Amino acid sequence: MRIDVDALKCIGCMACEMACGYHKDDAFALLSSCIVVYRAREKKDYFGVVIKEEESLIIARPEGLEIKRIGVAEEPDSSGQKREADASAKPMLLREPCDLCSGMKYGPMCVKICPVGAISIVEGGE
Amino acid sequence: MDYLSSNKILIVNLESGEITEDELDDELVSNRIGGVGVTSFLYDTYKDKDPIVLGTGLLTGTLFPGSALGIISAKSPKTGEIAHSPFTLKAGMELKFTGFDYVVVLGQAGKPVFLWLHDGVADIQDASEIWGSDVWKTTDHIRRGMGDDLIQTLAIGPAAESGSELAQICINYWGSGDCWGFGKLFGEKNLKAIALRGMGLLEISEPEDFVDQCFEIFENINKGSFQGKAGIQDIFSAMGENDASEWLLPSVHRNSACYNTPYPTNTFLYLDEDPKTVAEPAAPEPGFLVTDPCALLELKRCGLSAKEAGSVMRACARYGINPTAVAEFCARSGEKSMENIEKSLKDLKGTISIPDCGRFSCWAPGKPLFSNFDVSDTSEYGVWWKRRQAVAYIFGVHPIFANMAPELSEELMLQMVNKGTGLELDQEILDKVIEDVCN
Ligand code: SF4
Ligand code: SF4
Repeated sequence: MRIDVDALKCIGCMACEMACGYHKDDAFALLSSCIVVYRAREKKDYFGVVIKEEESLIIARPEGLEIKRIGVAEEPDSSGQKREADASAKPMLLREPCDLCSGMKYGPMCVKICPVGAISIVEGGE
Repeated sequence: MDYLSSNKILIVNLESGEITEDELDDELVSNRIGGVGVTSFLYDTYKDKDPIVLGTGLLTGTLFPGSALGIISAKSPKTGEIAHSPFTLKAGMELKFTGFDYVVVLGQAGKPVFLWLHDGVADIQDASEIWGSDVWKTTDHIRRGMGDDLIQTLAIGPAAESGSELAQICINYWGSGDCWGFGKLFGEKNLKAIALRGMGLLEISEPEDFVDQCFEIFENINKGSFQGKAGIQDIFSAMGENDASEWLLPSVHRNSACYNTPYPTNTFLYLDEDPKTVAEPAAPEPGFLVTDPCALLELKRCGLSAKEAGSVMRACARYGINPTAVAEFCARSGEKSMENIEKSLKDLKGTISIPDCGRFSCWAPGKPLFSNFDVSDTSEYGVWWKRRQAVAYIFGVHPIFANMAPELSEELMLQMVNKGTGLELDQEILDKVIEDVCN
């Protein structure tokens, strides 16, 4: 089971990020969230969500989902460029991975709090 | 103040360069609650030193729905009296996590500066290089210089530097709710911007109870009357402006929300790209994020197309001028050419009308949205609106969202603040603070 995000539905509200932060820190904080809205391309209105799993980063872009294995060198795309999720995705590698909110009575908190139903649980993953 | 707070009031004297900190004591919170209740108290305390006071509500930055609000309180150059301006997007939340609940800016810097607030640290930084730059270049410069694209800025452009009362403080690249000419105050202080970034942490007095109830409120709200609606186009419909909604739709790229706000009140217009583009566009600056429905509506009334109105708003945000004021000048002169309007921004001078919105910003539409809040008589809208705005500005709730979510009652906000802080605030205290900030 893993988290799936439909980034086209996402409105970039960061509620999932704060809910995850609460799960990790028992307080309101964003430092430890393993689900993060990438929003650094603000002038282009290009945003989505990144989730840190044990061995991969799930990058939900508006045009679709991408799963990157952590530690595996990236292949350049057709233009020869290596695609990066965003500056805001980089510190993710240092964070604890998603545990599907184990031990929380709410179930996966990000799924529960997303106001537009952009996050769901799917079979598969790690 | 141990909970829902960083327990710090920052005092920055731009003239002397002195930076000091006060504690946010429980007694002040018990008497003034927070947000505009405390910013107006701090304004009065430092009244003789031209203060600009920034602050957040106790609910700002939490999981309480709509908890996006930051406030600027200062003497408006337009009215000569204290007024309050909202800032949302992610900037209100970011201020809360910088480690300062309130920031009092005093005096005038000897040279252009910007204030950099991050992780409990405040620095006055040189802004000579960006003085004269537009708002977009200012934000780009600060983000690049600090190596962090997520820094939120409250920035001014050339309009404020030239002393215009029409100047607006912008958020990052976009317009804000500053209809009071606060941009001019930044300019007079030689303060180009306030840059915000924080990785703070807010403790909660009864965390489990607080979060349980946030989820419950979310569930209730999500069954509410704005469900299935999104963006400025649907706000227009809720205002009874259906033709404006149709006028806008073809230019809409995506709708987005301010921090933890279930309704996306912002709408991005693609002006130089196909709005249906899903992938990352090649153009670096393809459009404009409209955060101010009333300004956009006024530009429509001037006879502009949605694309032209978006382009004028983009030019206004770059120059740092209030787009509602620009629309009023256009309505007076009958100017309908986008190019001429954009070219004329630097020459606009004179006074514009002061809307009847008390001390709060007319940025939030003046009536209930999607729901009637049991206010059926339109003659009661004015009184209802001012009280609702006061409550939103006290607790830190998004002022437009507050007008579409009757579920967020005064009683509920008090209850949540009490759960979050361990204080025992009651309706009597709230009524007193509302009365004080409204008069
Ligand atoms: S399921 Fe829980 S741990 Fe995983 S991303 Fe969502 S909130 Fe974070
Ligand atoms: S809660 Fe949902 S809408 Fe909000 S940022 Fe997360 S995925 Fe996007």
